[in-house]
Amino acid sequence: MQSRRKRAATDVGGTFTDLVYYEVDPETGRPGAIRAAKSDTTPPEFERGVMNVMEKANVDPASLDFFAHGSTVVINALTERKGARTALITTRGFRDVLEIARGNRPDLFNFNFRKPAPFVERHLRAELTERANHKGETVRDVELSELPEILDYFRKEGVEAIAIAFLHAYLAPENERKTLAAIRDQWPEVSVLASHEISREWREYERTNTTVLSAYVHPAAKKYIERLEGRLRQHGFERDPYMMQSNGGITGAEAAKANPVAMVESGPASGIYAAAYMGRAIGKENLIVLDIGGTTAKCALVENGKVKISTDYYIERTPQNPGYPIQTPVVDIVEIGNGGGSIAWVDEGGKLHVGPQSAGASPGPAAYGRGGSKATTTDANLLLGRIDPKSFVGGEVEPDWRAVKDAFGALSERLKLSVEDVARGVVRIANANMVNALRLVSTNKGHDPRDFSLIAFGGGGAMHAVSLAEELNVPEVIVPVNSAVFSAWGMLLTDLRRDYVRTRPTPLHADFRNDIARAFSKMRDRACVDFTGEVGDCSDLKFNYLADMRYQGQEHTVKVDLPPNGDGGPDMAAAAERFHELHEQRFTYRLDAPIQIVNFHLAAFAPVDKPDLAEKAVTGRKIEDAHITRREVDFDSGGVVEADIYNGLKMEPGMTLTGPAVVQEPAVTLVIPPGKRLSVDKFGNYRIQISAKESGQ
Amino acid sequence: MKQDVFTLEIIKDSLVAVGEEMFNAMIRTSMSPIIYETTDFAVGATDAAGNLLAQGNGVTAFLATLDTAVQSTLEHYPGEDDVRPGDIFITNSPYEGGGTHLSDVVIVYPVFHDDRLIAWTVNKAHWTEVGGSHAGSVSTEATEIYQEGLHFRFLKLYDEGRLNQSLVSMIRDNVRLPDSTIGDMYAGVAACKVGAKRILDLVSKYGESAVLSAMTGLLDYGERMTLAELKKLPQGVFEAEDIVEEDGHGNGPFRIKVKVTIDGGRMVADFTGTDPQVNGPINCSYTGLVTGARCAFKAVTNTEIPANGGCFRALEVVCPPGTLISAESPAPVSIYYEALIAAIEVMWKALAPHMPEKLPAGHQRTVGATFISGPHPDTGELFVMGEPLLGGWGASAGLDGDNGQFCCANGETFNIPVELAESRYGFEIDQYAFHNEDGGEGEFRGGKGVVLDYRITAEEAFLTYSATRTTTRPWAMDGGEEGSTNAAWHIRKDGTRERYTMATAVRARKGETFRMISATGGGYGEPAARPREYVLSDLKNGYITPEQAERHYGVTG
Repeated sequence: MQSRRKRAATDVGGTFTDLVYYEVDPETGRPGAIRAAKSDTTPPEFERGVMNVMEKANVDPASLDFFAHGSTVVINALTERKGARTALITTRGFRDVLEIARGNRPDLFNFNFRKPAPFVERHLRAELTERANHKGETVRDVELSELPEILDYFRKEGVEAIAIAFLHAYLAPENERKTLAAIRDQWPEVSVLASHEISREWREYERTNTTVLSAYVHPAAKKYIERLEGRLRQHGFERDPYMMQSNGGITGAEAAKANPVAMVESGPASGIYAAAYMGRAIGKENLIVLDIGGTTAKCALVENGKVKISTDYYIERTPQNPGYPIQTPVVDIVEIGNGGGSIAWVDEGGKLHVGPQSAGASPGPAAYGRGGSKATTTDANLLLGRIDPKSFVGGEVEPDWRAVKDAFGALSERLKLSVEDVARGVVRIANANMVNALRLVSTNKGHDPRDFSLIAFGGGGAMHAVSLAEELNVPEVIVPVNSAVFSAWGMLLTDLRRDYVRTRPTPLHADFRNDIARAFSKMRDRACVDFTGEVGDCSDLKFNYLADMRYQGQEHTVKVDLPPNGDGGPDMAAAAERFHELHEQRFTYRLDAPIQIVNFHLAAFAPVDKPDLAEKAVTGRKIEDAHITRREVDFDSGGVVEADIYNGLKMEPGMTLTGPAVVQEPAVTLVIPPGKRLSVDKFGNYRIQISAKESGQ
Repeated sequence: MKQDVFTLEIIKDSLVAVGEEMFNAMIRTSMSPIIYETTDFAVGATDAAGNLLAQGNGVTAFLATLDTAVQSTLEHYPGEDDVRPGDIFITNSPYEGGGTHLSDVVIVYPVFHDDRLIAWTVNKAHWTEVGGSHAGSVSTEATEIYQEGLHFRFLKLYDEGRLNQSLVSMIRDNVRLPDSTIGDMYAGVAACKVGAKRILDLVSKYGESAVLSAMTGLLDYGERMTLAELKKLPQGVFEAEDIVEEDGHGNGPFRIKVKVTIDGGRMVADFTGTDPQVNGPINCSYTGLVTGARCAFKAVTNTEIPANGGCFRALEVVCPPGTLISAESPAPVSIYYEALIAAIEVMWKALAPHMPEKLPAGHQRTVGATFISGPHPDTGELFVMGEPLLGGWGASAGLDGDNGQFCCANGETFNIPVELAESRYGFEIDQYAFHNEDGGEGEFRGGKGVVLDYRITAEEAFLTYSATRTTTRPWAMDGGEEGSTNAAWHIRKDGTRERYTMATAVRARKGETFRMISATGGGYGEPAARPREYVLSDLKNGYITPEQAERHYGVTG
């Protein structure tokens, strides 16, 4: 039987590979219900897990019209240091920039501090005679006669990937281009990336490091994408797969291979885009987004339906470690080491902490019974009756109560408190940690949480969301439909996207109107070239015009919309006023000083045809039909009370209920404290009213 | 009431977070690069008596300046009604609590609940300008504090909510960049208000008595954590001395001396025997010394728990008045940080041989503050570039020293990217690299110092620079070799050159170079014990030359 046409997305996570798909009615073009499946992630051949989950769900690649893919292959190669042997070629006099880095020591009082080691050893950091200046002039052509000896050395050393990064190449890439061409000519097999292809922003350490990291993961990412393409083709998929990027858009496989580090945060990015998309669908354009996974919680802000993108992104940065910058467009996220698997521990001063160490997926929380002996947040939620022991991990795992009691017994002895009190303490402290992270993206950036809704997803999102919203004074919580596979679902909603960021300090002044228009038109031309083959025609592209601006002489920038008028140039006065407003919101003051554009930022989209969001069917079921049972649940300050337990899969639009209650789905537990009211909207999202909205002053 | 344990924990964490929120507020509100880029400021809160509850830091060098500022404020206003709701105090007096140099101004804000004083919030920040004989209020040339700018001793900036307009006018009329200076002042007040509001939010949520008991609990917790570490340290008396080379006027060298006693949960740092205060502006006040001692104390106890007053109950700092590191009026102090760093490092030097897993050998020991100014070649407008310099840190037992890191008085301090610097200032940079001067050899070698060449593209430019460790070298441990020295060079086109260690306004013409060289850190262990493969790796990586490999390690490639 010929299967119906489908659209599918797969998201390879640390533990599970998620599949989300739906059918499209060939007659009406209407989408069918969203379906999902999970199977184990299969490192190092991640594509196997992808094919497995499709097979499990009976999704034939030949039946797909659209396939989008996100994976952790890049971030894994980076954090596990499993990339290629990488070399760097840079401007003479500057090979140590990669090791000097920025010189900061976040671990202030640790006098035995060591900076994180650069990804390229010093002997593999070669220098070429060349120079450009800050005006974008190439003042010395690159001395390519020096290159063969360098390449000979690299070959001898077993180098597999080369990064080229010259000073001021963000403005004057000519010497990098020549060097790139010469290397491709002299050594065609080696992976080679030049900084101007990866980032067109200033700050040589950040740009060099980004190019190095992209080169480091390039061979592995390229091979991975090619293997995936091969498997899909073998199974009859006739189109090109799309790869999810950290900017929340998708791109073709070729573009993804050319700059793999842009995939570094693809999973979280698509979850946040999905949240923004859902927000627009239900008329909630201001969202605080919370994604609680096993190891971390990620927070982001959506304002007026827009997701914030920045190139100020780091891996491995902690309060003690400066980490490594990656100057690529990434959804603006704050991530903390607090998830379901976070370990509770007591320090020498007798203080209880939760995280940042995590039991991860293996051994996992004590209740998994896989040898985990440490108490985790998930174990605490189980002890307090919030998680249903009968449907623990989708009903696939019988909780190991003995291990849980042992783990909490140790803490309870240490703290001289009952096991239940310790469990409450663990949840409270985990919540307090998450509230602090949520403040970082909201109040600390000049936003009033009362003007926002909290949208929560990921394995632990629904469990904690209501408490967090109460603490933050957010008036409403949204737990979206498909919240357990939200990131994969987001990939079905996204568009092809490329971000172009160009550092070119320019006064925001009428005299420079033409320069501003020209900067954008050059980026538009570039986008047209880059999208060739992916869209029918340039006129299919949509653009967002943005600029990072600051007061002359200041350092902080804010991102401002800078759309062109009919004649192609921007409305300068309107842009200036927007800048003043945003600056005041973010930094509390405005100045009567000239405004300067630092970076031009063009976001180019090729919209992907996709059907409207499907509404959830209403069959006329009553809320009583979804009622499973009653059981004792500990709501901490709300007391230990009998709560109604509902099967979320049987709930449908229009239903309402009032806590104390718990709504369960196979991978979602939504805890509703006494008195809080839940309703199901037309898409099947859970909406929980926290308080009547006060005015945000 | 069992659950109250965790409520108290959460209040304590929230009090600690007050420091971080004030820190972010200050960065958000400030208009001065030295505050938001170099993070040359500290913010925090104390209890009603001036015990430090939480502090947000960008650099280490303000660790004892917030609580002592409150304590001195209480001494200046001892009467019951002297401190009222709406009062805000201002001080920059170097010789009392909160003091460093005049550029660092403290705003002290009493927090009242129902007319009861329950806490203080405090901000100390490096203002761009406080007047005095030189722009920026810092020079190597001052002989008395009167040349270094305006001096406020615990004045009321606000009196029951009313701004002291006369004081503001006087500040405005006596500084070179009045808008910036007044902007810094309001940023400090705003940061204090953010902290006060958070504390009062906690009071309205949890009640005053819970918050006050969380404050006490927090201090006790800091003390417990610190004592647990202190008891693990070797007990005994540890002594060291060191040299500060000069005072900017050609006088010196000066001796700095410490005797550290660790005994049964206490540490006493006694600096008796240090030389008297000097003519030039490298003097450091007693408050600065306490900061230095606290830094070293924290480095050997627990570096990760947030600093509070409880952490320092076990530390006593002894020094007779009137020394280089307990200077009294009217000693000039604008480059106090060089003596402060020396005080931190001499304590570190006394302890390091006994705690090699916590403390490495000596580091570059200088901020290396570098200012280059001149007319911008494109616009003709005056440019002023100021930055500290990175240097080599010492090796420790089992690890080579860190290459290119800011000194121990800095912290979350960032270098200026070459691409930004070249676009803003009248110079191009020809190299930013590790150098190969001798020094720091050992079984584990000292971190590499840096060479940084500014080639002047302006018609002329002027260098102001100050450093120590210019004739003495970073000390080694356990048979390693000492590191190398810090210096600035003026290199002319014909190749002639001069070396500078403390200088104000050295002139260079277009095409000439200011070369900054920072010290390589001290080595650890006998060079002969360095494994051959490490030496070969250093050779391959160019950290040492073939000649050095043979001479120091007896290894030929």
